[in-house]
Amino acid sequence: MASVEWRPEFATGIADVDHEHRELIGWINQTLAAAGDTAGDPGKVGDLLGEVFARISAHFALEEHIMSARRYDQFAEHKRDHEHLLDDIRDIMDDVEAAGGPVEERFSARLSEWFGAQFRTHDARFHQRMPGA
Amino acid sequence: MNWLKRPLRAIFDRVESMLDAVFGAQHNPLAQLGALGWYLFWLITASGIYLFVFFDTGVTQAYESIESISRDQWWAGGIMRSIHRYASDALVLVAFVHLLREFALDRMRGVRWFAWITGLLLVGFIYVCGITGYWMVWDQLAQYVALTTSRWLDVIPIFAEPISRNFLSNTELSGRFFTLMVYIHIAAPLLMLLFMWVHIQRYNHARVNPTRPLMIATTVAFVALSLLMPALSQAPANLDQLAASVGLDWFYIPLYPLVDTLGGVTLWGLVIGIFVVFAALPWVPPLRRAQPAVVHLDNCNGCARCFADCPFSAITMQPRSDGSGFTEEAVVDPDLCVSCGICVGACPTATPFRRATALVPGIELPESSIADLRERVEKLCAGGPGGPPRILAFRCAHGAAVESVPGADVAVIDVPCTGMVPPSFLDLIVTRRMAAGVLLAGCRESECHQRLGVRWTEARVAAERDPYLRDRVPRDRVAVSWASPAQKSVRARAIRNFATALAGLDPALPRSATGSHAPWRDAARRLARPLRWAIQLLVAVGIGTLIVRYSDSPAITLRGADEAIVTLSFSHAGRLKEECRKLTPEEIARLEPNMRRPRDCPRARWPVYVELELNGKLVYRGEHLPAGIWDDGPSSLFERFAVPAGAQHLTARLRDSERDSGFDFSNTATVELVPGQSLVVGFRASDGFSFR
Ligand code: HEM
Ligand code: SF4
Ligand code: SF4
Repeated sequence: MASVEWRPEFATGIADVDHEHRELIGWINQTLAAAGDTAGDPGKVGDLLGEVFARISAHFALEEHIMSARRYDQFAEHKRDHEHLLDDIRDIMDDVEAAGGPVEERFSARLSEWFGAQFRTHDARFHQRMPGA
Repeated sequence: MNWLKRPLRAIFDRVESMLDAVFGAQHNPLAQLGALGWYLFWLITASGIYLFVFFDTGVTQAYESIESISRDQWWAGGIMRSIHRYASDALVLVAFVHLLREFALDRMRGVRWFAWITGLLLVGFIYVCGITGYWMVWDQLAQYVALTTSRWLDVIPIFAEPISRNFLSNTELSGRFFTLMVYIHIAAPLLMLLFMWVHIQRYNHARVNPTRPLMIATTVAFVALSLLMPALSQAPANLDQLAASVGLDWFYIPLYPLVDTLGGVTLWGLVIGIFVVFAALPWVPPLRRAQPAVVHLDNCNGCARCFADCPFSAITMQPRSDGSGFTEEAVVDPDLCVSCGICVGACPTATPFRRATALVPGIELPESSIADLRERVEKLCAGGPGGPPRILAFRCAHGAAVESVPGADVAVIDVPCTGMVPPSFLDLIVTRRMAAGVLLAGCRESECHQRLGVRWTEARVAAERDPYLRDRVPRDRVAVSWASPAQKSVRARAIRNFATALAGLDPALPRSATGSHAPWRDAARRLARPLRWAIQLLVAVGIGTLIVRYSDSPAITLRGADEAIVTLSFSHAGRLKEECRKLTPEEIARLEPNMRRPRDCPRARWPVYVELELNGKLVYRGEHLPAGIWDDGPSSLFERFAVPAGAQHLTARLRDSERDSGFDFSNTATVELVPGQSLVVGFRASDGFSFR
């Protein structure tokens, strides 16, 4: 079963962001675990996804706050990505809701792929641009 | 106070609705009176600076310099002068309508007391600025203002000598007081600006500029008014001659005639009484307010969205207090919070999709929680026998009612402000097909009761302000309707039309928006353009006429046609009660070393008793105590009498010593008074009485 692990290169150096990244990874892994559990309750995946959606929304809100406070040069781009990613999660949520039956592996694949990419690309740049904060 | 507030509110509501149709909600002047006040202040300041460049601050040259501004450069200085006067009059008008409106809308109680009290102080500043301004022209009106202000101030027993004595006659005119007025006229506006700033300190995004078209229209209107009806001086001041009447600026000087009819003391009582009553209004009765917003740190990461959106600056971001990994947290000042819930609508953890944990957002109103909101949505959308409602409406407490119309059953959820509904709720309801459409039914578009609710709600739905309503939510199923309580038909029409629009949509919901982010809204009902322009012009002409009409008329009568004025006034120190006495060496020795002196001079003086007789008839008699806490100052008086013109035989007598009958001084004179002449009966110990 796929899961996301905290890696040192995820660190942005901004205490709030890193703290929340770790918390998020916890929620994500719980969700992935539930999604991978084909015998489990599909409603539970939906509930957990709702929670992940809320936490990620809050996380992005905080990141955007810090970015605009520090006049991060790629704020607009980053913000646009945030909104797309939230749209993606909402799509996944609706698919889970509509499927009604056991949740398939591909959701977990989409999730882990998505989170991995998110940390690798965007936050890495954010980290380089905002050193030592 | 409701007996007054309610009808007033209904009137404002009606008039504002009409002006909405004429100016458009965005440019409605009644909805931006505070901002108009600021703009007028800048107009007055700019024109004032120009005038000051050409103004001669000497009392004898002031009049001439202003005449020259008005005549020799009517095309610049003259316009500036007229703008300066008319914008000042307009400021009084704007401030009072603003005051009345905030009162009618009950926006002065609870945490809003601060704006109310500072607003009242602003009224005081406006008057100090205006009155000193009229003084500077030194024309007939200035003379009236100077004499009446002095008399009014003289009833306050803090001046050693009556201020009125500065304005006895042309020869004795003292420029000192005039110069003081010039200084006050410059200092008071600066202080006023400070208070204007304090007045809006508690407002986030306070509106201090009217919309641009309104600014331009206001400026053009003042220039037109200045060319058509330039503001001019009256005849120059002449203290030796009292005009029979004087035209008043009724915006600034309306109370002055009362100094003569009621007397200065009563008028002070009246003014202070009115101020106290107005200042007490926020607390009679005190507002029974909802509980302020509270922060739940477990669900707050310090993203500052609530802080950015709170219209009343009730939220600050402060260092984290709970030892979690975050650096900041939101903190609500309960003394500033009006419980509008706009912060809740901004909080990212206030999303109804959360189910794995209790739905507790980072910030919320204890009396209308987000969990409760979700529960109400779910209950209403489960539907009755007829299935789920077509439209789910969130109705703000300050807007028009929301009722079902034939063909559209509407389920209503009451909220303190539409800004309290997090966009994710709309996402849930629309994409999960819990209702065919969602209606955000708020209060007046031109001015939201909670200041920024309308603006933030629209911006969030349009994905222009965080939190965005997600792209995927089809906007043709999300509607906004702004209508004040009086705009019932506007609301009903919007509901009807929204229901019709929904009926025409494909029931298979599109998954994502069609590209447009604008919510559905009913077509604005505006009058035809030429009609709108005509009414706008009419409104401007009406206000302009009102201002010009009352800025220097009607006149008040100052004296009868055949009357002259006799003023009995002097400042004279009575004799010392005890003569100085040489101290004996023993007495000196008994004194403290630093108090030793050869002579003892008790400083107390006798009061001055004075009588004035006119053609053998006693018109005045009075005893005047010495000024100063040691009774060692001069006794002074300033009394005016209207007398018939013609020959007058005057006798003045005075006693300033210990004797209790008879007089120390007595003089008589026969004078021939022409109508309006101002004769001063003065006194000096060296010369006795003078009749000039
Ligand atoms: C020179 C005179 C004045 C100016 C320039 C002025 C300006 C303003 C401005 C810019 C606002 C903020 C509007 C907004 O953005 O929501 C405001 C609000 C307010 N003003 Fe004034 N004001 C003046 C006089 C007064 C007076 C005389 C009163 C009443 C005693 C008053 C009472 C209020 C109140 C109660 C509010 C708050 C409204 C609310 O809570 O939403 N103001 N004023
Ligand atoms: S919006 Fe919510 S999460 Fe963000 S600072 Fe305010 S309370 Fe905290
Ligand atoms: S309820 Fe309204 S006034 Fe109170 S903190 Fe929230 S946004 Fe500010």
